[in-house]
Amino acid sequence: MTLQDRPRQGAGADGPAVALGGVDITFHLADGGRYQAVRDIDLAVKPGEFVSIVGPTGCGKSTLLNAAAGLLSPSQGTVSIFGKPLVGLNRRAGYLFQQDALMPWKTALDNVKVALEPMGVPEREADAQAREWLARVGLRSFVDRYPHMLSGGQRKRVSLAQMLIRNPEIILMDEPFGPLDAQTRQIMGNLLLDLWSRDRKALMFVTHDLEEAIALSDRVVVMSAGPAAGIVADYAVSLPRPRDIADIRLEKAFHEIHRDIWSSLRVEVQKAYAMGEGKELVEGQQSVGGEAR
Amino acid sequence: MKRIKLLSLQVLVMLVFLATWHVVTATSLFGDVKTMQFFFSTPAAVLGRTFNQLTGSEIYYHLGITLTETVLAFGIGSAAGILFGFAFARRELLSAVFDPYIKAANALPRVVLAPIFALWFGLGIWSKVALGFTLVFFIVFFNVYQGVREVSPTILANARMLGMNERQLFKHVYWPSALTWMFSSLHTSVGFALVGAVVGEYLGSSAGLGYKIHEAESVFDVTGVFSGMLILTIFVILIDALVTLVERRLLVWRPVQSSTTTA
Repeated sequence: MTLQDRPRQGAGADGPAVALGGVDITFHLADGGRYQAVRDIDLAVKPGEFVSIVGPTGCGKSTLLNAAAGLLSPSQGTVSIFGKPLVGLNRRAGYLFQQDALMPWKTALDNVKVALEPMGVPEREADAQAREWLARVGLRSFVDRYPHMLSGGQRKRVSLAQMLIRNPEIILMDEPFGPLDAQTRQIMGNLLLDLWSRDRKALMFVTHDLEEAIALSDRVVVMSAGPAAGIVADYAVSLPRPRDIADIRLEKAFHEIHRDIWSSLRVEVQKAYAMGEGKELVEGQQSVGGEAR
Repeated sequence: MKRIKLLSLQVLVMLVFLATWHVVTATSLFGDVKTMQFFFSTPAAVLGRTFNQLTGSEIYYHLGITLTETVLAFGIGSAAGILFGFAFARRELLSAVFDPYIKAANALPRVVLAPIFALWFGLGIWSKVALGFTLVFFIVFFNVYQGVREVSPTILANARMLGMNERQLFKHVYWPSALTWMFSSLHTSVGFALVGAVVGEYLGSSAGLGYKIHEAESVFDVTGVFSGMLILTIFVILIDALVTLVERRLLVWRPVQSSTTTA
């Protein structure tokens, strides 16, 4: 496993991998108005911990992830990465986006390989590593395909390889399996657990699918309906690992946890529905790039 | 079967056109044969003249001149378009300041510049290159500008999260995106380069296809005019096919080939 031997950017694991302290994020809208997405968020993710964030549509889950990635800077509060305040982009994190983020003009191999270029890995080694990673996500025979020739699930696998090849200490995922069909989601979920369990990194996983969240995580954080969303509950999921995310849903313990979390999530989902669709439009304007630094 | 049917129908259209032309000009059904032939020539005469020209050597000298002008106008126009497109897309102030002037310059019908270019650059190839340049530049400029501006924010954010610096972003994200937009307008820009060359030649020159057509026209040689137009058409179709070939190679990663027609 030469891949894992690569020296990390910062050695020590002092303090939580990601710590949000009193974070407020307010967007300035195009029409001059303001929209407070999240308010007073305190959240710490320990190294090696798999934390899912669930909440109603448009509650600012992704916003929180963007703050941890350094794509957004909070209007108030602090973001610390391994005990150090985050300045600019989070260089120790890998981000798997909800939308397709592969470069369409590069083959699967080149898309993965290019992730090593900023680290100064020599071309031949990068090629070998990229092939190994594509094999690991089950795309050995698809290396020369362009993204449009791959299915949605296959593109996500390429993205996963592209992110993981850099061996980030923190993994951020924004509804990564959202657009996929149910079967593919399960396969991708098991693939993710398999890859993650080899060398557990801190992982923040945003999803609107509570079952997926429980099946994957060590902790599930429930957010309230926006605007000015906050964290309303924080549940530990003590199901044993390794897990199979299809089988685990049939267990009694799973149902008990699901019932507990759903009791608090349901209130927020109903609130969000009651507020109607207007808010969703606002959320739609907050593209990552628009606010990126 | 379907292909053969389509092809035979297409050939039929041509035959009907040629037959009508022949009947109108070679019989006295629609008027005096001499008058008709003066205005419309005859298909046999035009095809014969075209054949003679294409088998002779003189026409290739003129085609060579037109081709040189087209290639130069396209090359220089594209290079300048790419350079300015990038500069304007990446520098907010620059594009804001120059926006009205760019729009004004693009609004001007470029043909009116031909005489002034002839004055500045003489009657040789450079006045035609200049005219083609003004046409090509704006197409490439707007496409590259758009290409850089409309890079998907997700792809950009992803590339940043992969740790790319400005130079790497340029190489892996902005440049390919801009080129895509430019290549998608390749047919249009090559077509305009040719338009610039031919129109320039037509308005004042001593060589090139536009000159040949103009020369025939000035002595009321309608057969020569039509034959020149036919050769020009064949020339454009060949260049367009070449562009399609280049485009296929360069845009292999794209799901659908969109092609624009030559202007």
